[in-house]
Amino acid sequence: MVEKWSLRFRVFLFFALISLMVPALLGSALWVAAGRIGPESIPHLVLWGGGAGFAIIGVVLWVWLKFDENVVAPINTLTNDLQTLIHANPEHGVETEPGKYLGLLAPTAREMAAALESARKKVGEEVEVATRKLDQQRARLETMLRDLNEGVLVCNMNHQILLYNRRALDILHYYGEIGLGRSLTSLLNTPSIAHGLENLTGQLEAPESADGLSAHVVCSTTDGRHIIEGQLSLILDAEETEATGYVVTFDDATEKLSELRKRDRMLRDAIEGLRAPVANLCAATEMLTDGVNIDDDGRKMFENILSAESRALSKRLEKLSGDYGEIITGHWPMSDVYSSTLLNCVVRRFESDDAIQCMINGDPVWLHCDSLSIVELTERIIRRIAETTSAMTFELEPSFKKDKIYIDISWPGDVIRSGTLDSWLDESFDDCLKDMTGRDILENHKAVVWSEGREEGVACLRLPLPKAKGDHRNVSDKMPGMDPRPEFYDFDLLKNRESKSFDERSLRELTYVVFDTETTGMEPSNGDEIIQLAGVRIVNGRVMSGEYFDQLVNPGRRIPVTSTKIHHITEDMVKDKPPITEILPKFHDYVGDAVLVAHNAAFDMKFLELKKASCGIGFDNPVLDTALLSAYIHDHSNQHTLDVLAERFGVEIEPQYRHTALGDSIATAEVFLRMIDLMVARGIHTFANAIEVSEKMVEIRRQQARY
Amino acid sequence: MSKKILIVDDEPNIVLSVEFLMKRSGHDVVTATDGQQALDLLAEVDPDLMILDVMMPRKNGFEVCTEVRADQRFQKLPILILSAKGREAEVKKGLSLGADAYITKPFSTHELVEKVSELLQLKD
Repeated sequence: MVEKWSLRFRVFLFFALISLMVPALLGSALWVAAGRIGPESIPHLVLWGGGAGFAIIGVVLWVWLKFDENVVAPINTLTNDLQTLIHANPEHGVETEPGKYLGLLAPTAREMAAALESARKKVGEEVEVATRKLDQQRARLETMLRDLNEGVLVCNMNHQILLYNRRALDILHYYGEIGLGRSLTSLLNTPSIAHGLENLTGQLEAPESADGLSAHVVCSTTDGRHIIEGQLSLILDAEETEATGYVVTFDDATEKLSELRKRDRMLRDAIEGLRAPVANLCAATEMLTDGVNIDDDGRKMFENILSAESRALSKRLEKLSGDYGEIITGHWPMSDVYSSTLLNCVVRRFESDDAIQCMINGDPVWLHCDSLSIVELTERIIRRIAETTSAMTFELEPSFKKDKIYIDISWPGDVIRSGTLDSWLDESFDDCLKDMTGRDILENHKAVVWSEGREEGVACLRLPLPKAKGDHRNVSDKMPGMDPRPEFYDFDLLKNRESKSFDERSLRELTYVVFDTETTGMEPSNGDEIIQLAGVRIVNGRVMSGEYFDQLVNPGRRIPVTSTKIHHITEDMVKDKPPITEILPKFHDYVGDAVLVAHNAAFDMKFLELKKASCGIGFDNPVLDTALLSAYIHDHSNQHTLDVLAERFGVEIEPQYRHTALGDSIATAEVFLRMIDLMVARGIHTFANAIEVSEKMVEIRRQQARY
Repeated sequence: MSKKILIVDDEPNIVLSVEFLMKRSGHDVVTATDGQQALDLLAEVDPDLMILDVMMPRKNGFEVCTEVRADQRFQKLPILILSAKGREAEVKKGLSLGADAYITKPFSTHELVEKVSELLQLKD
């Protein structure tokens, strides 16, 4: 109880006690003296004793005032400075004027601060070196994950997602960000994963199993539309005795499974379907060749059977070979390739060749093929054409027509006869393609090739290939390595948390969404509207830079010039943007069950509150306000604007981002994270504690407003 | 000695061949083109042996087999299944449903004739 009182209050109580004790002691001393001397002394004793008493109280009060001003207040400020220095901003100086009676305390504190700073700098440099190394590894991991052709999901044993890569989103056909910490069950039907985990943890407990803790899993997305197939592996703790999480690497098996089903069905149909006609043929043939007692009619009948069944059999074979063609192409490993990458490979094959020159024309396109075999085939064909027609210059041009990508090879000279072309296709490749022929390669791509005349004296060979399966519209004009590296992972979620009630959860482990709004004005009740809404997510004490929410909103009204001056958002910028009724539900999804944090939260919450009816979306999440928390933490100051806080905590807001909803959200989030450290240092550990001090601050503000 | 054989198959060409074979061996032949028709004919024809296909419209061979065996009158009737379904599991299924022999298509005509006469002898 006493520890919770401020230092000033405690010192005040101490002096108050002295000033109460003085008249009490003096009074009782005079009372005893009056008894000894006699009643005639009472008026003198009262007069002089009372006078002395008041004088002493006066002196005590004067000493208290001086003490408060010159000792207690500087100590308070010094404490705040030191705490900020220790917990939040190492650059924060010790500003205290040397209190008159503090002697060397302030200078000593300053020296200590300097010593601390230099020690920190040294540690900081070492940390920086280590961090750089870690960053490199991290970048490598991120690149690897990003470019991996398989989806990767890492979860803790509560199925919370700790890591994922882009490919995982693609395979699951999930648009937007999955959200770290979200449950895997919202994406996949997990019984087969749960079963796999059960098996693996069982193996872990059995002493004979050492490694190879992985299992094959097949499961479907929650909407049941896609099937994934992959490998499930456990992540073990340092002692390798307990599983802390698991990794699923997976691929889309929807197509593969349907191909397999098709193949199975085809094989079954082939075998069963062929049995009957073959049986008929055999039976009829045996009758005819046995032919002991067979008359002409009988012979005729069996001959008819023979010819009918042979026809039926060839028809069935025809159909089978068609089905088979579809299936082999389904299984050949192919990927999306950019035509310029592919054709440049071909051109490089002729670089050392003085005689033949190849060049690429036309706009590059994406296609779907096995690039090695197509490059080999193209090279082979060009060399053969050169030998046959003695053409030396070749032009390669990709083009898109219907649903095929045509690779056209043209040269000055004669058209190649199809018989010649066929003979080239029958030649097999040796080393790299293991006895494949050109025909095999074409078949794998469901392709044919032919030669035709282009214009006067120019012949051309056309090779139609499948078009790309993925959508590369955005990727093609981006430079490699240009895409931002969003944070797709948070391994701290690996630590299993017991389920504590929300109030008792530590401030450091909660998930927050720090948000900010830009508005047409300051009065939501008088028709001012939101024009920009942004938020950032904090998971496990880190701002998730890959999961920003940032939206301009059409307010459906004019934007006053005065407000445009602050946020630089003009009517032109928002006229094509969705209205708040569309944005707010999205923001609601983004927030989920996180704690909302804002600077002067009451203002932003008021805007959200007023949209409850029209959007049908209410926010009943718990809310923390950085302005209120700052008033508690820095009670010696009455400056709590975002700019002041950012400066105090050493958070830099780039000027162009100041007063954008996203910029302010990021700054508020960074400030908030540093505040958590300060609050923890002051014994505010849990969410309930933070709410308690916030309420206290609201009460104080309310009282201040009253006077 | 002339016996009555019921041939059940929806493929006319195989019926022609088997019918020819059976007639050449001196048997009388009745044919049916699906399972239901075979069951309908059964009481009227009262055959000495049934050659039964499996994949047929209306009722398949396995169903016919089961129903025939459930009928007191035909518990001793020899049934020979002649089918394109040739997997081991299917052969076992046919035999356990009450067929006396199972020949998969394609088959040797000699084997079929021998099997038929063997089954007819057993019955006597």
